[in-house]
Amino acid sequence: MASEEKVDGSRQASLALPLVGDDSAASSPSRRDFLRLAGFALGATLTGCQRAPVQHALAYVNQPGDLVPGRSYSYASTCGGCSAGCGLLATTRDGRPIKLEGNPEHPLSRGGLCAAGQASLLGLYDGQRLEHPQQRGRDTEWLQVDLAVRARLEDIRKNGGAVRFLSGSLLGPTGSALLQQFLGTFADARHIVYDSSSHSAILAAHAVTHGVRLLPHYRLDKAQTLVSFDADFLGTWISPVEFTAAYRSGRNIDGAEPRMSYHVHFESRLSLTGSKADERFTIAPGEVGSILNHLATRLAKKAGVAVPEGASAESPLDAGILDRLAERLWSDRGRSLILCDSQDVDVQVVCNFLNHLLGNYGATLDVERPSYQRQGDDREVHKLLDELHAGKVAALFLYQCDPLHDLPDGDKLRDDLKRVPLVVSFAERTNETSQRAHYVCPTPHFLESWSDAEPVAGLVSLVQPAIAPRGEPRSLPESLAAWMNKPQSDYDLLRAHWEKEIYPRADKLPKPSFQAFWDRTLLDGFAQVTTPPSKTKSFDVSKVRLLPPSSPSKDGSLTLVIYSKVGMPDASHAYNPWLQELPDPISKVTWDNYACLSPEAAKRLGANTGDVVRLDGGAAVLELPVLVQPGQHDGIVAVALGYGSLLSARFASIGPQWLEAKPTLGHNGRVGSNAAEMLTWSGDTLQRLRAGVRPTKTNRQHPLALTQQYNLLDVPPRLALPGQQRRPIIHETTLERLRRGDVGAAHDEEEKADLWTPDHASEGPHWGMAIDLSACTGCSACVVACQVENNIPTVGKDEVRRQREMHWLRIDRYYTERPGGVDVAYQPMLCQHCGNAPCEVVCPVLATVHGEEGLNQQVYNRCVGTRYCANNCPYLVRRFNWFDYAHDDTMHNLVLNPDVTVRSRGVMEKCSFCVHRIQEAKIEAGREERALRDGDIRTACQQSCPAQAIVFGDLNDPKSRVSKLASGSRAYRVLEELNVKPSVNYLGLVRNRPAAAEENSHG
Amino acid sequence: MLSSRLLTVVLLLVLVSASVVLGVRFRNYSLPGNQQGYEPVQPIAFSHRLHAGDLQIACIYCHSGADRSRHAGIPASSLCMNCHRLVTASPDAMLQEVQQARQAGRPPQPVISPELVKLYDSLGLDEKMQPDPAKKLRPIPWVKVHNLPDFSCFDHRPHVRAGVECQECHGPVQTMERVRQVEDLSMGWCVNCHREKGIAGVDGKKVKPSTDCAACHY
Repeated sequence: MASEEKVDGSRQASLALPLVGDDSAASSPSRRDFLRLAGFALGATLTGCQRAPVQHALAYVNQPGDLVPGRSYSYASTCGGCSAGCGLLATTRDGRPIKLEGNPEHPLSRGGLCAAGQASLLGLYDGQRLEHPQQRGRDTEWLQVDLAVRARLEDIRKNGGAVRFLSGSLLGPTGSALLQQFLGTFADARHIVYDSSSHSAILAAHAVTHGVRLLPHYRLDKAQTLVSFDADFLGTWISPVEFTAAYRSGRNIDGAEPRMSYHVHFESRLSLTGSKADERFTIAPGEVGSILNHLATRLAKKAGVAVPEGASAESPLDAGILDRLAERLWSDRGRSLILCDSQDVDVQVVCNFLNHLLGNYGATLDVERPSYQRQGDDREVHKLLDELHAGKVAALFLYQCDPLHDLPDGDKLRDDLKRVPLVVSFAERTNETSQRAHYVCPTPHFLESWSDAEPVAGLVSLVQPAIAPRGEPRSLPESLAAWMNKPQSDYDLLRAHWEKEIYPRADKLPKPSFQAFWDRTLLDGFAQVTTPPSKTKSFDVSKVRLLPPSSPSKDGSLTLVIYSKVGMPDASHAYNPWLQELPDPISKVTWDNYACLSPEAAKRLGANTGDVVRLDGGAAVLELPVLVQPGQHDGIVAVALGYGSLLSARFASIGPQWLEAKPTLGHNGRVGSNAAEMLTWSGDTLQRLRAGVRPTKTNRQHPLALTQQYNLLDVPPRLALPGQQRRPIIHETTLERLRRGDVGAAHDEEEKADLWTPDHASEGPHWGMAIDLSACTGCSACVVACQVENNIPTVGKDEVRRQREMHWLRIDRYYTERPGGVDVAYQPMLCQHCGNAPCEVVCPVLATVHGEEGLNQQVYNRCVGTRYCANNCPYLVRRFNWFDYAHDDTMHNLVLNPDVTVRSRGVMEKCSFCVHRIQEAKIEAGREERALRDGDIRTACQQSCPAQAIVFGDLNDPKSRVSKLASGSRAYRVLEELNVKPSVNYLGLVRNRPAAAEENSHG
Repeated sequence: MLSSRLLTVVLLLVLVSASVVLGVRFRNYSLPGNQQGYEPVQPIAFSHRLHAGDLQIACIYCHSGADRSRHAGIPASSLCMNCHRLVTASPDAMLQEVQQARQAGRPPQPVISPELVKLYDSLGLDEKMQPDPAKKLRPIPWVKVHNLPDFSCFDHRPHVRAGVECQECHGPVQTMERVRQVEDLSMGWCVNCHREKGIAGVDGKKVKPSTDCAACHY
């Protein structure tokens, strides 16, 4: 459609203005030409002068229930962004979902929702979503598909043949039950689960030690001491929102007695979780086993258990550190937790052994009510690949998965797929695999259909539609029911299953009727039910073997570490411009994946950020730009998954198309490159490590769109006075020092000479914010929340490189170098709503002025775009619309929040403290004839924060939470010395780092 | 000489007459986007004079969002049917038919006003006022009279709650056959009222209307 318009437009232009050199205009323009042009111009002017266009107001024909047009309604549902199953509230306005927020009542996610989950809303309005079933790439009718598939399946039932159903982790009990019923009608049928970031080894290790393949439910809220080996549980690992909320609940610094869990992190690359750890050790990937060995030996001695057999090599760490850690773990037994991300089953078995020695099973690890958030079984996947290669599969169903993209050796699989007589892909949008399927069955977005989820045993939640489906998608249960000749709607199937299976498990007394139970669950979004008795056996110590020592590579090759990014959990989100433009919390890169090298490794290679390197892994080769990443082990190169997807090919024309525009896509026509090719199969698990990768520098450059460089609040070295290069932007201390009253920086008590007369009224509320840097994990959920709430456009890679990204709220990342690594601090930075705002005094047209309630207001219709205010803002938070950043996909207009103006070209904008939410809360309080209460107003960033790091409220009310925090000892204001009197208070960063470790790092 | 003096006189005359003409025009000059006096033809000749004036139906009966939502709202077709299920034409016409039928000694025929036919069509009803599955439901394309630019956010709720009469902004709608925009809905007009009411109050009640930019612009 867009291309048609473009063609039309260019034709009109050529009619009106003949180009010089055109045949018809070879001579100078004639009188007739002039008149024609003049007439055209007059006509155009006159048409432009008519009254405003007629606006129609279409009312409902039949008024639906209590729905009032113009009011927002929230519906409790379950997030379908990944398989963590967080609870959410879908805010709908006039029938359109416009925002997803965390459900504060949900026992797992506790009100938070991650960046990817919130951004999945945009998938609903994706113009390239499949609307009709396809046969070999052409739209067809459901009837045709059903007839053909049923005939083929009938043939398999009669004549035999293997039916395989491949999917990601299915959370829905109804869907799973129906799938088992469907597969039960064949002699040889199997359901194979794979996760694009697999944790198969954890499940397999529990099969070894507990006799049942399961993923324990990690209870981080009960853990006082946390030791993590590469597990990025605050960023991407299994259920990051749940873990962040639980982790936060164990770190309450502002209570009467400061309480903080102790978190030690061992990893090779710098992850989000590692950056938040109290102590972080950079180790080579192969050294995990050795450290686990040493901890196991020490703890087994303390527990009086025989040390298991196996080799024990030299520890890569100082023995004192390990002694101290073992001592701490032992004193916190039953209240500690060891997490490990390794895909090596033997490593996971030793990890289980440690947790067993510490008595964590039953305390911080729940195996009675396990988690279903990752069910992938790599062994089964490998078996399927072998079967496919041998041509033994008669029908292959693929549910919302893209193995051609996610698994290594795609070429072989592509050929193998050609030999399967029936390939059916259930997909929301065309991906690599669905392109090669015989039939593609479009599935609805999770906001369009009924389903359910059981992320953790005993916690069932409902997924309810918030809008009617677009096109004619069909959910998995509906399709399966149709192919079993019992067509039924997803709602009927769901209710029938719940009445039969879930309702009897409801344990509330007195037991409500099914209808009451259903209504209650639908209202709450979830229900707690009993679980069948667990079949786990007691821990089998005899299966534990210590790990063989690993030999570090000596030939200059690197180990490739493949990870998932916080903003891009897997390739299924690659269609989403919000996530593509979300800066990675650590690297601050948008619109790409890259090869992270430590400064030392990059120096050895002679490469700098932006140089393309060739990573030669033998069978597979990957070319990527380098990103120099401090805090990383010198022997590794880290690359993110989820890029180079077919879904990202749509961004060819994102961003303004002007003379100097540069493409967002790389040479391959995609965003980034696919690192899945470098995954390796070993020991029946899919390994995210690949040893022996040889890097070579190429002559090419691939500039990265980084945001941190130009947002830094540090004084540039060439401008700074000696000793003033570092401003105290982050206040940092340790728990021990905090107890002694040391908050990390001296408070600036000096009275400033004030040029401003106190002309701002101080009665009534003064809106302000407190941001706890200690709680903030940098997960960037707030950035996306702000973007969705405030209609912030995406601008494309080239514009980001020109420092024109539009995020009102960004997260600044600061490194502090210390021996043996770096400390990382995150600082959400937004308009500080200064009392003495430097932006206000320079605006020549009074487009930015101070409000009665302390808000720094930006009036778009007054702004003429001088950009003086942005130049004068010390926090660099003002954003200018260099273009009309229209959506590439006009369907995206449906996600716009009607309460917030869409800004046009030439206008400055910035954080408004969600002033529309303030107005709404005030009006609603007025309607209820009551005063505003503390907590009535929650800004979008505050609402979404899984760590509850942001508190908003009235600074003039001494009883409000925000003013209590702002007057606490940890509170400070950034760049307070400028006397701009910001309304945002930051609470200093506190690490629970023992004095011994402090001395190590400073010594 | 003569011709140049004549030319001066002519030019002066032109200047005077032009300034008179333009002066009159400029006195009525309105800013771009000002639609004061806008009185569009509606798809159904709905009379506010009849409903709000003669019959004295409260504004909020139909525009029920005014105290609950930022939009006062336009009633759904189904709401009209609360009365128009029975009232299918003007009472005069219905009474006339009853009298004629009595005189002719026949049962009275239903009388349906041609304007109300449009309402019944929108609801997909047949002649017997029963839902006709063959007919599609079509919302009535009312033409919006009071339009504000997208950069200003007006909310009905606080105004209704403060006790501001609907007529203060919308004019004497109860006298209008077809709704007309009476006020110019400019920012100056809004701010004036906010300032005056801040001093004088509404109906003797003290109110605190904000004159902050962010009261409307966000």
